[in-house]
Amino acid sequence: MAATTRAAPSRSIVAVRLEGVSFVANRLAGLALVAYLYLHLLLLSMLVRGPDAWDEFVDLATSPPFLALDVLLLAGMLLHGLNGIRLALVGLGLVVSPQRALLAGILVIAALLAFAGALRVFAGG
Amino acid sequence: MVGSPRSGDGRDDGAHSVRSFLAQVISGAALLVLLTVHMTAQHLTVPTGLRYYEDVIAWLGHPVVVVVEVAFLAFVTFHALLGVRAILFDIGFGEGAERLITQVLSLVGIVTVVYGVALFAMILNAA
Repeated sequence: MAATTRAAPSRSIVAVRLEGVSFVANRLAGLALVAYLYLHLLLLSMLVRGPDAWDEFVDLATSPPFLALDVLLLAGMLLHGLNGIRLALVGLGLVVSPQRALLAGILVIAALLAFAGALRVFAGG
Repeated sequence: MVGSPRSGDGRDDGAHSVRSFLAQVISGAALLVLLTVHMTAQHLTVPTGLRYYEDVIAWLGHPVVVVVEVAFLAFVTFHALLGVRAILFDIGFGEGAERLITQVLSLVGIVTVVYGVALFAMILNAA
């Protein structure tokens, strides 16, 4: 008896492309965060130089251009963290579909939290 | 950063890749907690977003803070370098090169954590 083969259901090009873009975005955000980790450690070494050096740095780091970079950092962390959760759920087989809706939800949540973070950062407490 | 259990060139790396994937997921889950604690305690609850010198020293005087921050550094370094390793492996190197990459990144990780812990000690000693 000849074996019957059935082609796997094709996925839309948009869905596949979205998944690919999110995968690449996750890795790029991850690499940026790795670079930030080492920059952060380097900046913390200023504490060893004493109060004058550190307090001067804090004044600089709380200026608007640096606060804008903080918001960018927060957005990167949110994107990487939330997308990482999605990839983990998919990788563990806990979520199969609808991945596109999950990805859209993650982007909305990340954008909302980044916006709330921006308000908090620029409000300065 | 979470990699697929299957490497980019389509080769199934088997149990080793699954272990790396699970390690990435577990360290990522730990980071969700530790990063939230770090961001809340170190930045969000501080009116200026960053502590001035005297406040940093007083804050680091709590043993629990040091334990949490060192755990955070260890997990974030492990997670970051495992992610870098996954990206490099997906480029498609040979077995020897992959072993070398693992060894170099392991060394970088150890140096990073030792540097971080030494930094804590130096900051507290300098105060």
